[in-house]
Amino acid sequence: MVVKRTNILRKTGFFILVISIILFSIFPFIQMLSTSLKYQWDWGNPSLIPKIINLDAYKELLGFDQQELDVPDSIRKLLDNPELSEESKENILNNYRSTGDVFPFLTYFRNSFILSFFAALISVILAIFGAYSFTRLEYRGRGSIRRGVLFVYMFGGILLLIPLYQMAVKSGLASTEVGTAITLVIIYMVLVLPVSLYMLGNYFRTIPYSLEESAMLEGCSRIKAIIKIVIPLSMPVISTIFIYAFMIAWNEYLFASVFLKSYPDIYTLPFGLNSLFQSKHAIWDRIMAASVLTATPIICLFMVIQKNLVKGLTEGSSK
Amino acid sequence: MNIPIWNLKKQNAILGWKLVLPSIFIIGILIIYPIMSNVFLSFYDVKMVGDNTFIGFNNYFNIITDPDFFNSLFTSIIYVLSTTIGTTLLGLGVALVMNKEFKLRWLARSLILLPYIAPVISVVFAWKFIFDPVNGIFMHITVENLHLFSERFNLIGDPKYSLIVVIVFSIWKNFPFAYLMLLGTLQSIDTSCYEAADIDGASARQKFYYITLPYLKFVLGSLIILRLIWNFNKFEEVYLLTTSVKVLPVYTYFKAFTGAFEMGQGAAIALIQFFILIFFILIYVKKVLKW
Repeated sequence: MVVKRTNILRKTGFFILVISIILFSIFPFIQMLSTSLKYQWDWGNPSLIPKIINLDAYKELLGFDQQELDVPDSIRKLLDNPELSEESKENILNNYRSTGDVFPFLTYFRNSFILSFFAALISVILAIFGAYSFTRLEYRGRGSIRRGVLFVYMFGGILLLIPLYQMAVKSGLASTEVGTAITLVIIYMVLVLPVSLYMLGNYFRTIPYSLEESAMLEGCSRIKAIIKIVIPLSMPVISTIFIYAFMIAWNEYLFASVFLKSYPDIYTLPFGLNSLFQSKHAIWDRIMAASVLTATPIICLFMVIQKNLVKGLTEGSSK
Repeated sequence: MNIPIWNLKKQNAILGWKLVLPSIFIIGILIIYPIMSNVFLSFYDVKMVGDNTFIGFNNYFNIITDPDFFNSLFTSIIYVLSTTIGTTLLGLGVALVMNKEFKLRWLARSLILLPYIAPVISVVFAWKFIFDPVNGIFMHITVENLHLFSERFNLIGDPKYSLIVVIVFSIWKNFPFAYLMLLGTLQSIDTSCYEAADIDGASARQKFYYITLPYLKFVLGSLIILRLIWNFNKFEEVYLLTTSVKVLPVYTYFKAFTGAFEMGQGAAIALIQFFILIFFILIYVKKVLKW
């Protein structure tokens, strides 16, 4: 009897432990989702379930219903006044109109997507050839290159920020919008290049060399063997690294905040959302909806690459 | 006969350099050179427009006579140490729990990873809302239910508490990484070790200290050193949550890009940070990677 009881106690204890770990991990996400669906009068209510579901925030961010107005009754009465000219009526209404200009979520989303996509793409292409070179081809110094790559990966962005900014300003790149966008793509590409090289290098070492060898015996050149054999074989890992690089660029705030300051048209999501949050008040529903919409693609992408990424990330420490 | 093989070797070497050169070139210009040029910039009064003027050790002099610098160094040390210990311990605990079999374990394992993979900006807003003085659930519970504080206030903005919030946030955000690495190692422990220990009548605690811990020692070591390095570099996870916690990277950022735009001083601080960092990296390289 006693054994049985302690067993049940132990099981319940364990169950509670698991549940609290999960709750601790996901509570902020639930809070985010919940607030994004609430009306303002419901925000302070500690219950996570909205009293009435409100989709307006999502509609506004995604660009539906831009003309719908949320005008207080007192202002409506004022507008009924026939002495008011059409023009001034329009002006008053504009104060309540929430258009894409007020919360340009889709623009930020697009900017972030373009920057992250090209940064990840270029860095993965460079990394494929670079990593292949130092894992497969023998030459003096290849060991130092492989190690140096990991070494470089340890330095944080803040060490590079001031010199890179100086370089961009003095070369004139920072003085145009296009130049700034290109600069950021290059910087993001560089930030993710070391880790891409490192992870791909680790993977290439596990592909049997005989496959390329036989292709080359049949008359393929080395480059052709890479393109026809190595790349298709490594596609799962390559896409994993692409997505990982994409995620790093998607999250980046430090460089964006310094370089983009005077170009609101190309604000990225992290920088754009943070600026909006600081300049406007009482926009919790939209900020939370924006947070949900920013996190969703990343979480979905992660689900796709989960297995490979876990392997790649843990490799460096467990060996 | 030897000549073609030698030729092939040479060809391979040339191809090797050709393939890796773009990467090296880019890393050289945009990582190595900038880090080096911090040295150069730190001796100048760096201007946005016009030429920089050489001012010798003035930047360094300004830094070491500024109590704010030492405050921020101190904040950084507290932040790095407590987040490293916190993430490692929590990661270890969670890994031990998740190593046991139970229903829907796969789901639990994926959900736990969410804090680590979600974009910083999203989760920062969620945390800000939780601690919001007007709407947040934290103030609701501590003020209305538990009466810990007499009235609602902005906990994240309050210098007394903000460091704690930032530390807890970082632990929450990064413990899944520690958990992942530790779980991987836990799963590779041979179960027959535990069975043998059971036969010898070992208690759960003994099994943990004499079997599990020695197995994890290496991963734990590399985790701790990696976390020290990464957390010392952290900017976003601190700055976006609150600007009142000035760890070294945030302090540098404020120095260089607000107020008087003291970029020369910023470069000097970055350089100091670089040397502290190098120390940890060398430990990592020596002890973990064993170069």
